[in-house]
Amino acid sequence: MRAILTLKISISGVRGVVGDSLTPDLLTRFSQAFGTYVGSGRVVIGRDTRTSGEMVRQAVVSGLLSAGCRIVDAGVCPTPTVQLLVRKFRAAGGIAITASHNPPEWNALKFVGSDALFLSGARGRELLDIYHQGEYSKARSPRIRNVETMPGALDLHIAAVLEALGPLPAGRRRPKVVLDACNGAGSVVGPRLLEALGADVVGINTTPDGRFPRPAEPTPENLKALCAAVRDHRADIGFAQDMDADRLAIVSEAGEPIGEERTLVLAVEHVLRGTPGPVVANLSTTHALEPVARRYGCAVYRTPVGEANVTEGMHRHRAVIGGEGNGGVIYPRINYARDSLVGMGLILHLLADSGKTVSELVTALPALEIVKIQFPFPSQRLGEVFRKARREYADLPMDLRDGVKVMLPDAWFLLRGSNTEPVLRVVAEATSEEAARGLAEKVRDRVTEWLA
Amino acid sequence: MKPLKIGVSGVRGVIGETFTPELVVGFAQAFGTYLGPGRILVCRDTRPSGPMVASAVMAGLLATGCDVVDLGICPTPSLQLAVRWLGADGGISITAGHNPTQWNALKFVRQDGLYLTPGQVEELLDIYHQGRFEKATWDVMRTRVERSEAIPHHLDVLEARFDLGAANSRRLKVAVDCCNGSCSLLAPRWLAKLGCEVLAINDDPSSPFPHTPEPKPETAVQVRALVKAGRADVGLVHDADGERLGLVDELGRALSEEVTLALATDIALRQRVGPVVTNVSTTMAIDRIASRYGATVVRTPVGQAYISEAILEHCAVIGGEGNGSVAVPRVQASHDSAAATGLLLCHLAESGAPLSALVDALPQLTMLKEHVAIEPNVIYSALQEFRDAVQDEAGTSVDLSDGVKVAFSDGWVHVRASNTESMIRLIVEADTPSRAADLMDWGRDRLRR
Repeated sequence: MRAILTLKISISGVRGVVGDSLTPDLLTRFSQAFGTYVGSGRVVIGRDTRTSGEMVRQAVVSGLLSAGCRIVDAGVCPTPTVQLLVRKFRAAGGIAITASHNPPEWNALKFVGSDALFLSGARGRELLDIYHQGEYSKARSPRIRNVETMPGALDLHIAAVLEALGPLPAGRRRPKVVLDACNGAGSVVGPRLLEALGADVVGINTTPDGRFPRPAEPTPENLKALCAAVRDHRADIGFAQDMDADRLAIVSEAGEPIGEERTLVLAVEHVLRGTPGPVVANLSTTHALEPVARRYGCAVYRTPVGEANVTEGMHRHRAVIGGEGNGGVIYPRINYARDSLVGMGLILHLLADSGKTVSELVTALPALEIVKIQFPFPSQRLGEVFRKARREYADLPMDLRDGVKVMLPDAWFLLRGSNTEPVLRVVAEATSEEAARGLAEKVRDRVTEWLA
Repeated sequence: MKPLKIGVSGVRGVIGETFTPELVVGFAQAFGTYLGPGRILVCRDTRPSGPMVASAVMAGLLATGCDVVDLGICPTPSLQLAVRWLGADGGISITAGHNPTQWNALKFVRQDGLYLTPGQVEELLDIYHQGRFEKATWDVMRTRVERSEAIPHHLDVLEARFDLGAANSRRLKVAVDCCNGSCSLLAPRWLAKLGCEVLAINDDPSSPFPHTPEPKPETAVQVRALVKAGRADVGLVHDADGERLGLVDELGRALSEEVTLALATDIALRQRVGPVVTNVSTTMAIDRIASRYGATVVRTPVGQAYISEAILEHCAVIGGEGNGSVAVPRVQASHDSAAATGLLLCHLAESGAPLSALVDALPQLTMLKEHVAIEPNVIYSALQEFRDAVQDEAGTSVDLSDGVKVAFSDGWVHVRASNTESMIRLIVEADTPSRAADLMDWGRDRLRR
């Protein structure tokens, strides 16, 4: 296998390893390309708490100023805050500086268009063209702008969530919540939002210093400390965020992670109960969504993986809710963005309205278990693997919009390359974890055989 | 040819053309690599491009693992003092000094607060051109802190180095034009400490330059009017970053920028006799003043780095250049218009003499300066041709330490390439205006031949 590269330049942004591929030169060129692309207007920037955040921010600021942009700097904030501010200020665009759930050595630029959506498809390719052509707009001296800091950015976000969802119903017992913000951007806003909703909050890993107390991905194996804290504090629920607070995972009152996939399912349940309508999710998200939506007579539409694809689908189908199985809840009344703050609000309202515990709500969901495995994989051999998979499973129903998704009776699996890292992912869902793992491993072994 | 100069005075270019964020990021990374991961101070003057350039500088420094101390808007000499005071490993001052607003530049300061020497700049350039910069990994990457004490510290040092007694009792009235540059934050406060009644104009760092930030009689129009209207004892004109100083006397006469150093030399030598350092193209009034006190003059090539080195080497009592730059070694071996202000005003207060009398007692000479814009690729061959043309001229001696300086018995002609722009400078000096004009004709003829 060839060396795995540490730089991913794609339509979903530019992502790399600090101290290696993600140099200030590359970052400033990309920012100039973005400034050129959005035409020297107002650009909102924000970052998570990674140790490289300040370096990346400075490179972005210089590139945008050089292109003649006016910068609104939201400082350390969740990625969805950047998107919210782009819409609020009718900005020309935004840049979120975060590698989301990637390990600490990574960082990235995520580009937001004037519609507050991530650039995707054609717009992403246009930006890449400008970057590669290398002829960027250059503001002449008196027309060059300065940076405007935006200290109230987080308050705006909290207010937007409260306005859309309202505080928790009065007169009931205040729920007790443990929040694990992974020392990320959620640290600076999560506890305040929960208190504003009317919950009692215990924070763990809420020091916004970018030192990762656990791997950033809020998957069950990374949430041991949260589970213990939920039990110790006899809390009603535990919430876990990733570094830029777009994803949300849940731990039940028994101190058990319920699985990231169920965050969206529970949020959908709550939203459809009040406002039935179409649901959009990517094609690697649990199929538990369909039976839940059917209870309310609603349809589920599937899109390729990636927030931009999901939000595009949501626009097209006028969805009332959507998201991704990795804990990304998108609630368009607030924001066309994966937003853990919105997710927490929806779930707490579900608990209050239903009067049930998290465990009781989970038990009532369809019995499906999902297993995801991934391994390093050179991107240049993806095509070969997909070709072989299509041939091998040719007689089964398939969805080929993003990698290869194969439907089996009572189960399905998906084979795809990551948008953000040089890895191959296998996702399998079946009626038990054992069956799902068996399926995923079988597929992985086949891939290894094909490559041999 | 595009305006970009990389040389002994740092990296200098025009915003929107050559001075791009990539260029700045590259030089900042080279500087961080050159000094090794350490603490670097960063400051800027008040140009609109300052925030853009500062961000590029800080991104480059952070990427190499440096610790960045952001001083914000701050004069270069304040940064130079702060580098030593804070035990930092170096500094970058973002300023194009006296150049118009569309220019900007990086000035590199080393651990002892002095500019990099030409040899060190060459080493830095080698690192820049090789492009293999230090890269800090996430676990050792540092961050930026803001500090605002550099200017207060500069004021403390000035206060400690001058005896303010006489100045405080005399209460001189001083008109000052800060050109809306970084001196807006330093000069009025220093004048207040000197006990002066301050008439300040253009002291708003958020406003654009009201005129070219180059202190010379042409840019002193506003301060002359202020001196006359306010019956001030002295008028001062600053550049954008606190290195050069222009003077207006109490009669409202704008003095040539050459007079600043001549006056400072006269005052410094009255107080203590010792070596004087200046560059080859500065007025020969310096030599005549020095000879009155029996002091020696050391001439260096043009550029602050050379002046500072020679001040330290010769234990000089004063140094500077004919562009209005003065280094007062008891404050620091670097150009510092606040130190020059202190030297001048303390002496005026002690002696009780008006500025015009001090100026009139200086040797009266005529200096003429011209420049010829020229394509950068033919600058050195033009100088070579000039040198060939004047080599065998009778009754002259030729000094080649910086460009070509031809000394006559009653004057001199100096032809050199600008350090900061793509042009050849022609400077002549003589006892009388007519002789100076003759020398200018003589030099121009031979340059064009």
